[in-house]
Amino acid sequence: MRQPRLREVKAVSSGHAAGGQLGRNSNPRLPASPSDPRILAASLRAAVGTPRAGFGFPGGCPGSRGLSWAHAIMLARGLSRGWRGICAAALTGAPFSQVPSQAPRGLHCSVAAPSSGSSLVPRPPEPPRQLAKPPAPHEELFRLAPGGARDRASFVQAVQNFGQHNVHKRGHVDFIYLALRKMRDYGVERDLAVYNLLLDVFPKEVFLPRNVFQKIFIHYPRQQECGLAVLEQMESHGVMPNKETEFLLLQIFGRKSYPMLKFVRMKLWFTRFKNVNPFPVPRDLPTDPVDLATLGLRRIEPDLSAKVTIYQMASSRDSTGTADPTEQHIVGIQSPGQQAALARHSPARPVFVEGPFSLWLRDKCVYYHILRADLEPPEEREVEEIPEEWNLYYPMQLDLKYGRSAWDDYEFDIDEVEEGPVFAICMAGAHDQATLAKWIQGLQETNPALAQIPVIFRLTASTGELLASSSGLEEPCPPPAQEEEEEEDKTQRQQQGQS
Amino acid sequence: MALVHKLLNGTYILSKCLKPSVASCPFLSTRFADYCSSSLQKPVATPGKASAQRNSAGGLQGDHQREVALDVTSPEEKPEVSFDKAIRDEIKEHFWRLKDEIVNHWIGPEGRPLQEVIMEQARVVWQFRGKEDLDKWIVTSDKTIGGRSEVFLKMGKNNQSALLYGTLSSAAPQDGENSQSGYCAMISRVPRGAFDRKKSYDWSQFNTLYLRVRGDGRPWMVNIREDTDFIQKSNQMYSYFMFTRGGPYWQEVKIPFSKFFFSNQGRIRDAQFQLLLDKISSIGFTLADKVDGPFFLEIDFIGVFADPAHTEEFAYENSPVLNPRLFK
Repeated sequence: MRQPRLREVKAVSSGHAAGGQLGRNSNPRLPASPSDPRILAASLRAAVGTPRAGFGFPGGCPGSRGLSWAHAIMLARGLSRGWRGICAAALTGAPFSQVPSQAPRGLHCSVAAPSSGSSLVPRPPEPPRQLAKPPAPHEELFRLAPGGARDRASFVQAVQNFGQHNVHKRGHVDFIYLALRKMRDYGVERDLAVYNLLLDVFPKEVFLPRNVFQKIFIHYPRQQECGLAVLEQMESHGVMPNKETEFLLLQIFGRKSYPMLKFVRMKLWFTRFKNVNPFPVPRDLPTDPVDLATLGLRRIEPDLSAKVTIYQMASSRDSTGTADPTEQHIVGIQSPGQQAALARHSPARPVFVEGPFSLWLRDKCVYYHILRADLEPPEEREVEEIPEEWNLYYPMQLDLKYGRSAWDDYEFDIDEVEEGPVFAICMAGAHDQATLAKWIQGLQETNPALAQIPVIFRLTASTGELLASSSGLEEPCPPPAQEEEEEEDKTQRQQQGQS
Repeated sequence: MALVHKLLNGTYILSKCLKPSVASCPFLSTRFADYCSSSLQKPVATPGKASAQRNSAGGLQGDHQREVALDVTSPEEKPEVSFDKAIRDEIKEHFWRLKDEIVNHWIGPEGRPLQEVIMEQARVVWQFRGKEDLDKWIVTSDKTIGGRSEVFLKMGKNNQSALLYGTLSSAAPQDGENSQSGYCAMISRVPRGAFDRKKSYDWSQFNTLYLRVRGDGRPWMVNIREDTDFIQKSNQMYSYFMFTRGGPYWQEVKIPFSKFFFSNQGRIRDAQFQLLLDKISSIGFTLADKVDGPFFLEIDFIGVFADPAHTEEFAYENSPVLNPRLFK
């Protein structure tokens, strides 16, 4: 059986001629009851003519002889789906979609056929969605005034306009769903005041249950689902509701309603998980790439005494306003321990510049390169000897066993992955060898030993191009692979490292 | 008996495969966790229970509960042409396992001497040192519901770690049922004994989960499933967050088991209870942070240990507002 889409259902209910077309195309495979279903709109009746036998209009009005079994099943399924949607959506995080929530509208509207999946008659491929989508109701409220921008003020204006033209707030559920969808375009999805304004669109005290029967069943289920959708979008963007939200929900739905229950849950679990991230990233990331790079470098380098050095700022735009600056920013970080290790590094063994590796800061991805050496083979590892000082009065070195007693062993029975030491990390705007060579030159100022050590560039991804060597720099032997950028860069390192 | 069991198992899987979309609404349908590990069939396509986990505080969405193993680690192995030989091999292997189990029972729990097991305070449960270690894991993504995320698992550098990488895409599948999408998960297989009996892990003497990982700054979610003999239990899991720092250094993540919160069918429940450690079935990592783009997670090993400084039993109180029945 064909499942009519939501818009087609609406078209049918509003009595367009197109709806008649859809009605006729619906699959007549349903076993027809003797009571043919009456067709809703007068135009439909006119278009179709006399109802034919075997016309299985999905979920039309029940005929004169009462509800046929097919319609009863469809209505039951639709209602039960709505019920399930409510129950499921009432708990924290309700990802119900809007299609089933709006479909069952009672006995007098066409009910969307149950989504059984397979249609018995092969349909021609549907036209692309963008063309066939009719405008959503109240969409004209969000139409931009000429010269207007999509910002908070225009969004608030649109929401307020809804109430003005429509005293009885007809179609407020549709409007709220539409506004929720539009929030991201207007950039207000994290604004609590806007969410409260949107909740204000609901008429107050109309949906409160007044007797025990209304309390037993979900009173005004579509409106409760809509309230849940607002709260769910707040939750998914991490917006904490406040007392005003609570008061609004009390006024609109009452204390025992599902939106109120979700609000209580949000209050509980948000406060529990507020500080659960041991490495928090600020909500508003800096837009300046140098600041972003500094933030990222401070995050990945755990040594607090490390110093961030800006080797090069991004060159400012020319007066002509060319799009790409010739110089990219280069920001590096190195801790004193790494500096000492690099000074001790023997010039016989090369150091490698590897990268770029990705680092995600909330929703921004930055790339960093590291300067590291391979692990020394065990025979070459030097044990540092601290010159022994001794003192008559007290021992300078105590060899006490601070470890636990014999039966306490908290070590894991596995050899941890050992990798070579990292000497410095940098984040640059470009990932090519020229930019990184500048970083190495900048590093040479604080690490004079680097001038003698050969540096090999192991750059992966398509932007890692090999340039001619200069003094002290060598070219890497294996070329970078032609992988997509989504592939992990370390795989290349592995392949090259093992060569 | 093995043949009967396999027949039953086989038809069971067949019947599940015949009805791909069991119900329009996933909440009331029952999902069975069944990982077939027989050598006859490739370990693929069993409807399971990987539910999408959103990492926002307190919010979980649970409508994606069908799981297909997108195991791209081992190359395609041509199945044995001789059916009888395969059956015979299978029978032999199961009897071998049975013999091992009986012998191990005499030595001690899981084949290790009792004294060693009792005194143990840190145990490595999963390590990634070879290809066979990767076979103990299944990777899934929202491709099972029609999304476009991709996830792959392979050995990392020098065969010293496992690399889980891919691309997350939160484009919702246009099937009218799911309005949100975008998750990737890596789940461990349920350990199997002789005749494919389900075994479970016993971690009752430990109290902290230890992971040595290297991520890219994305927040992950660690899910632990208990023994799923009952139908309702197959939808329940205990979860907690794992925040990766990013960077070239290895990160040690220690999560006490008392911090895991309980969820059913992907939603946090009001009635919370602590995770009981005596019958753990599997562990999983999920990424669903609604940010499109590539990701990677390198795992060195996963272990459990008994932290003597951690005395908390359970981190979450039950609230009388949400659960009046618990406080009567």
